[in-house]
Amino acid sequence: MKDSKSDTIDFGYKQVAKNEKQSLVANVFNSVAQKYDIMNDVMSFGIHRIWKRYTIDCSGVRTGMKVLDIAGGTGDLTAQFSRRVGPTGEVVLADINQAMLDVGRDKLRNKGIVGNVDYVQANAEDLPFEDERFDIITIAFGLRNVTDKQKALESMFRVLKPGGRLLVLEFSKPVPPMLSQAYDFYSFNVLPKMGQLVAGDAESYQYLAESIRMHPDQDTLKSMMEQAGYERVTYDNLTGGIVALHRGFKF
Amino acid sequence: MLWTVLPMQALEGLVNHLMHLDPETPARLQKLNGRRVRVSLKELGKPFTVTVTETGLVLSWIDDGSVDCHIVTELAVLPELRDSANITRLIKADKLDIEGDPMLAQQLSKLLSDLDIDWPEQLSQRIGDVPAQVLVNAFERGRARLKTFQTDSQQWLGDVLVEEKQVLAAREQFIQFQNDLQALRAQLDKLERHLQEQRN
Ligand SMILES: C[S@@+](CC[C@H](N)C(=O)[O-])C[C@H]1O[C@@H](n2cnc3c(N)ncnc32)[C@H](O)[C@@H]1O
Repeated sequence: MKDSKSDTIDFGYKQVAKNEKQSLVANVFNSVAQKYDIMNDVMSFGIHRIWKRYTIDCSGVRTGMKVLDIAGGTGDLTAQFSRRVGPTGEVVLADINQAMLDVGRDKLRNKGIVGNVDYVQANAEDLPFEDERFDIITIAFGLRNVTDKQKALESMFRVLKPGGRLLVLEFSKPVPPMLSQAYDFYSFNVLPKMGQLVAGDAESYQYLAESIRMHPDQDTLKSMMEQAGYERVTYDNLTGGIVALHRGFKF
Repeated sequence: MLWTVLPMQALEGLVNHLMHLDPETPARLQKLNGRRVRVSLKELGKPFTVTVTETGLVLSWIDDGSVDCHIVTELAVLPELRDSANITRLIKADKLDIEGDPMLAQQLSKLLSDLDIDWPEQLSQRIGDVPAQVLVNAFERGRARLKTFQTDSQQWLGDVLVEEKQVLAAREQFIQFQNDLQALRAQLDKLERHLQEQRN
């Protein structure tokens, strides 16, 4: 996965051509976009809401700030940021997948969130924004799906203001061994079946479980962030490390 | 401390819901928009942070960013803070420490204590006009009765004290007494502190 010279890359546990991964990921999210929110709640027993709120509380967001929610999907984080930055601030909800953005836009409009949110279709690896534009960047459950993660971290670094911070919320490596085993069982046996039941799509959730396992663990991601230029990089393990929140600053 | 997210969120929801039953709230929030207060209660260990936004209060036990005002105190002292006359005494007694803008804390607590909620209206929106009216009438009757009872007994007491026994102190005397009491309290605080220091 880290060998950038080879032209195949993991798609879950399968090896696929690099240029193929992006469209495969797009397919996964195209097929789940409509039911994405329900599945999130079902799969994580609603805990993803708590992880997200934790992320917001750690973000240092203030009135008037500019926030980028990349791989923002259906906009859970964007909605909360929008309220906190107020009319003088700005939130950009960006995602590579138009179907997810559309669902997000409808959802936020229905919640009455308009005015300070922009919707941009964008690839995290190559962000279409000028340098030093954002005070805060979040990527929640998104980095895992990005083909070249290092490149994405660098691209985010470029568009971050000095003094700004990046928050990466992502599945990680459970710390207690018992939890790790239970979690494996859940991911490979229960999750795809639930995916089949609720969304009629076991394969996408099989991919989800596999992509979580292939994602760099806490310390690997931390050093990748440092390599991209972030300073004072720290992480918090949430729920035993099933999820980790990494934070890094640009100075 | 991930677990704190849920109770804080529930509390936040409740507080904001109540606040928005008062039509004045948006204007009041506007005035304090963006201000941040942190409260450290000895009993709770970790401080919690209140941020005012245009749409309501944000409560967090995780947020450790900078704030405009930080209050360090203990649970038992909180009710005393409502009267600003107590503040100096409490600070001197080491029961209270305020860093930053002390007015802000008071403005924030006013945000809640000034709430004026039209309960009959809220009730009728939820349970219908007629049952709401019945409830409200019963409540008002109860309150009126309580009030008559209070005035009656106060009057009786006044009569007994002033007219019959002539023992009620004049207003001036009473104020003098209050002042003495305040001074005594301060001395007591000081003494307590001395004792504490000697013991340590
Ligand atoms: C699991 S969803 C997370 C959505 C949202 N942040 C949340 O937490 O609910 C992952 C999102 O990442 C997006 N994504 C995948 N690869 C991406 C890339 N290279 N650039 C931007 N977004 C990408 C997908 O389209 C999908 O919407």
